Amino acid sequence: MVDDSIAIVNSLEAILGISGYKVDTAYSGSDALRKIHQIDYDLVICDIEMPGLSGLEFLGRVREEFDRNLDVILMTGYLEHDYFIEAIRLGASDFIRKPIDTKHMISSIRELIFRKQNRDEKSEFFGHLDKAAFTFEMPAKKFSKLGVSKVFSNYMRQYFRVGPKVLNELLVCVDEMIYNAYIHGTLNLSVRERALTHEALQDVIDKRMENPEIRERKVTFAFVVDNLQQCIEVCVEDEGDGFDFESWLETIRTEQIHDIEGHGRGLAMLYHLSDEMIFEREGRKVKIKKSLIASDADEGY
Amino acid sequence: MQNKLDKQSIKYNYVKGKKIIEEIDMTIDLTFDGNIAAMKIDGILNSENAHILQEKLTEVMQSNASMLELDLLDCRNISSTGIGKILLFYKDFISKGGEIEVVRSSNSVYDLFSMLKLNQLFTVNLG
Repeated sequence: MVDDSIAIVNSLEAILGISGYKVDTAYSGSDALRKIHQIDYDLVICDIEMPGLSGLEFLGRVREEFDRNLDVILMTGYLEHDYFIEAIRLGASDFIRKPIDTKHMISSIRELIFRKQNRDEKSEFFGHLDKAAFTFEMPAKKFSKLGVSKVFSNYMRQYFRVGPKVLNELLVCVDEMIYNAYIHGTLNLSVRERALTHEALQDVIDKRMENPEIRERKVTFAFVVDNLQQCIEVCVEDEGDGFDFESWLETIRTEQIHDIEGHGRGLAMLYHLSDEMIFEREGRKVKIKKSLIASDADEGY
Repeated sequence: MQNKLDKQSIKYNYVKGKKIIEEIDMTIDLTFDGNIAAMKIDGILNSENAHILQEKLTEVMQSNASMLELDLLDCRNISSTGIGKILLFYKDFISKGGEIEVVRSSNSVYDLFSMLKLNQLFTVNLG
């Protein structure tokens, strides 16, 4: 429980104590930060308006320095809309209005602790496995509704231990692989078409989707987390015509890659961000391998 | 402007806010000061949201700005689609006498720009 008001902290501590919760207290954001580095809390309830480190700044520091999964409930009486957006972007789990509605607070705590236990059980389960494999088959006609990067990111954050730098690089790789499979392999868009505005591009995609052969195509996205080797293998396969990947690989290895027209930039990024990149089925299938072990350079990311 | 929060407005704002964040997972703040356009990108810039960057860059192109200052300190990463949008803008912007500078960047973005040798095209500052 974090609030600069001793009276509020004491009364909420008493209420939560009666409800069976063990509560630790802090009277400033920096004091709370110090404590969460030392103790494994189930969740944090924090006031937004505090002198020194505000609730939002505290939340930002928690996400940056500590744990993306630690639930933080923010308490506030007034809040600008932009602050709301910022708090959600930083991963606030819930908001409680002041003066406190204790029934609402306890129901929010119960719900978040239930979710955390669920998450921890799954994380423990996946941690005990030698390998965990996931496959997603995505129909082209529904592709625009599927936020694959977010789903992948959520899986990795919740169930596996991955440093922020490795996760960031993995997210770029997944985005490149999926985007290539959709834009090139499935829709076969030209450079000119790809440079169109969002609305104009959507019109082109809608037109392509009128072709039943394209509409019925699928993109398969799979990843395998190998706990023994501490690495991940990501594979994306499309049902397009493939491409001359060997000459592209030769270009990537030998040439500078900042050409403005953008040929092969995505592949170059994949090549540099992964430990191994393999093409199969005439380029319709691409597979990368990447270590999940954080390097020293991960510190401070 | 501040809104007093009641239970309903908390729920409304939370659901609305979540929806906005889920849709974009990235925010762009663009301001103009004389002939300088300052653009701050937070979050992850990928193929799913690169069109938002394209819209903002078009806004800069259509303005009187001759300098674009990019703040990428809170940008956790950029995919090739996002970089493509920046480079296409760069090509058009320099042809009308404009300049770009990355005034701040996160470690991951700095590494990415160095890897792609974009620091040979314009100044890229770290931190």
